[in-house]
Amino acid sequence: MPLIEIEHLAKSYRVIQKKEGLGASIRGLFRREYRTVQAVRGIDLTVEAGEFVAFLGPNGAGKTTTLKLLSGVLTPSGGTARVMGHVPWKRENPYRRRFALVMGQKNQLWWDLPAAESFRLHQHIYRIEPRQFQQTCDELTDLLGVGHLLGRPVRELSLGERMKMELIAALLHSPDVLFLDEPTIGLDVVAQHTIQTFLKHYQQVRNVTILLSSHYMKDVAALCGRVVIIAQGRIVYDGSLAGIRDRFAAEKIISLAVADGRIPPDLDRYGEVLSIEPPRAKLRVPRGAVPEVLARLLESCPIEDITVEDPPLEEVIAAVFAQSESKDEG
Amino acid sequence: MTARLALWWTVLRISLSERLIYRADFALGTLMRFLPVVTQIFLWWAVFEGVAASGAAAQKIAGYSYRDFIAYYLLTYIGRALSSMPGLASGLARDIRDGTVKKYLIQPIDMLGFLLLTRLAHKLVFYTMALLPFALVFYLCRGFFSGWPDAVTLLAFLASLVMAFLLGFLIEATLGMIGFWFLEVSSLLFVFMLISFFCSGHMFPLDILPEFWQAVLRAIPLQYLAYFPAAVFLGKIAGAELAWGLAIEAAWIVFFLAAARAAFHFGARHYSAYGG
Amino acid sequence: MTAFLSYLRVLATFARNSFVRDMTFRGNFLIEAVTSLGWASMNLAFYVLIFRYTPMIGAGTGWGRYEFFLFFATGLLISSLVQTFFMTNADELSDLIRLGGLDFILLKPMDTQFLVSLKRIDWSSLPNFAVGAALLAYALVELHYAPGPTEILLYPLYLACGVVIYYSLMMTMAAATVWMGRNLTLLDFWFYLTNFNRFPMEIYGGPYGLPLRWLLTFIIPVLVVVNVPAEILLRPLRPEMPRDWLLPAFTLLATAASLALSRWTFQRAIASYRSASS
Repeated sequence: MPLIEIEHLAKSYRVIQKKEGLGASIRGLFRREYRTVQAVRGIDLTVEAGEFVAFLGPNGAGKTTTLKLLSGVLTPSGGTARVMGHVPWKRENPYRRRFALVMGQKNQLWWDLPAAESFRLHQHIYRIEPRQFQQTCDELTDLLGVGHLLGRPVRELSLGERMKMELIAALLHSPDVLFLDEPTIGLDVVAQHTIQTFLKHYQQVRNVTILLSSHYMKDVAALCGRVVIIAQGRIVYDGSLAGIRDRFAAEKIISLAVADGRIPPDLDRYGEVLSIEPPRAKLRVPRGAVPEVLARLLESCPIEDITVEDPPLEEVIAAVFAQSESKDEG
Repeated sequence: MTARLALWWTVLRISLSERLIYRADFALGTLMRFLPVVTQIFLWWAVFEGVAASGAAAQKIAGYSYRDFIAYYLLTYIGRALSSMPGLASGLARDIRDGTVKKYLIQPIDMLGFLLLTRLAHKLVFYTMALLPFALVFYLCRGFFSGWPDAVTLLAFLASLVMAFLLGFLIEATLGMIGFWFLEVSSLLFVFMLISFFCSGHMFPLDILPEFWQAVLRAIPLQYLAYFPAAVFLGKIAGAELAWGLAIEAAWIVFFLAAARAAFHFGARHYSAYGG
Repeated sequence: MTAFLSYLRVLATFARNSFVRDMTFRGNFLIEAVTSLGWASMNLAFYVLIFRYTPMIGAGTGWGRYEFFLFFATGLLISSLVQTFFMTNADELSDLIRLGGLDFILLKPMDTQFLVSLKRIDWSSLPNFAVGAALLAYALVELHYAPGPTEILLYPLYLACGVVIYYSLMMTMAAATVWMGRNLTLLDFWFYLTNFNRFPMEIYGGPYGLPLRWLLTFIIPVLVVVNVPAEILLRPLRPEMPRDWLLPAFTLLATAASLALSRWTFQRAIASYRSASS
């Protein structure tokens, strides 16, 4: 029985059309214009217990909206979803006790008070038994190394420290499902790494189901076995990281080094030249043409070293985003 | 000159555009501000009933008849409309605190003049829009007034309104400038607003105060912000007293103009000395 | 029982957290306390001035000077409680809804209206409660009157009803603002409504006053908030006189109805919650 089942989930908003200028403002007095924004356009997804799934997508793709729909924060315009058998937007207390949402761009901790006070509030709201609460709290603060910061007002913490506190707050009630919306956004590399390591460890030990949305490749690569690419409110890919290349990378990159230091001047015959730094050069070649290009290069130049690589994953994914955007506009 | 006119026009246009966005708020809000007058209408009726029931013959309290009281409250709305400067002092203090004020110190703009212009623009825009609701209310309540006053009184009334605007502006501007010396000026401002509400005659005509307190409150300029124009219109201040009142008000304006300028001059010096 | 206890604990935590926060910004706290006290004093001064000229507000209404002070004190007690517990929260509600701050509150396993209504407690409004209590005692002393045990028991009950009615009105307006798009109009409306309560309902008489009084008693139950508890304390309750208990009975009804209305409006408001894009 899958833990999360989503079918044709959709969410659209009516937004007031604001126009510039004095004349338009006066007209706006009498008549308001609306347009519909479709944030999510029919998502189908199934997640089993214990999976660690990444939502990847450009800004405005609908990742955050989807997570908010699954948290019950928003009510959908269409479609259904069930998480652990509950309909999220019914906002039933038994469901709310079993999941947590962390948002990288929003704080839930009290700003002027030490994190410990916010934790205590959580304890009472979630009715966590005192001993259990203390244990969990100690465990989490140890793992993230923020024990010494518990007594400091949240506003005095750095972004990374604050994020760690937010994570702890979310995990105090030992949820079965964790929704993470861009948890590492804006953090420095060290903090990102700490949080990634922590999440990986936590997920393995507790076997929680995690949905993480991000547009950082590093998050995804480090943590998730399964990647769901969302663009323009739709799922365009659902599978493994490696599979993305296979599916979308239409080209390969050939790097070569010539023995006598002389790069043939007609290199652009073989493909798009990316860089020429004698004795090295880089070419972008369509996948299908690779064997032929290889053969001809080996034939015509004294090649010392040649490698065939996939383009960087970021590029591939960016291309996927761009493609879906233009498809939408077209 | 044309450049300045162009600036004023832009400021006016932007303020207008901004305000129009909040359409429903505006119309409703303006009308609702008059709601407390309804309570006053019933209150003073009841008070006068109480006076009559106790056997006292007088139909007036401190020289004001029942209708005078209501007319007075309505007139203070006009005075207050012109003399209130929401956010002027606190905005100024905030600009000083976060350094935005530096642009006035560096650029060849006269800060006081600039602020006055923006306030003027805002008032013009706001009360042009509010003209209709105001007119409606006064029309509905015309029964509380005994017709229009004579030309002299009317002129004096208008003059007192213009001066109320200037005085209100200068007092708050001077207060805001204190921010050059004390960073946390908000406590002072709160106290001032509290006192101002009471002493300017918003709550009641100053005439009903016992003599001693009346004298005290007449000595300070706050009365000109709401009480004075209303009392002038109703003819409670006339003749020599009226002339004196206007003259003293003008003197207060000169005083605060000097004070504001001095505060800016010395304040800016003090401020720069700290390398703000 | 555990549910009830946990709500109490959460409330206590809110109270404590708010207090700690208020003490962190001690200067602000003091200013606000002084301002509240200042407003109360100014109003009191105004009332003292009125009574220089008349022994009673209205003819034969029974609201003489000390009776009126008791009325004012009752009003202070109620409004100070409302301001302490609910005002800040109602103020923030529309921003919360508009700017998407409700996200985390919506996913907590606790009643959303409870969390939203009580998360911030403004301790600086509490001094007015003390002033109200002191004024109440003073008025009773000057009246040489000691209320009976029934009245003493009913008074706090009706104070609570008053607080609930004021709260419900406030919440309904704050929540309904979601459909308006800006906060300004509706919560201001609450201030203007409660402004009618500065004086006893008996002042609203005559061809215009009476309909107004009925509107503000039976349709928007504002006038019963202060009048009913004040009158209960001022006069012994006579069960054989309908006038004595009709209005108090109605007040209980009004309390329940307004609470229900606030809940309904609140649920509707969060149903249309959009949660600003992050």
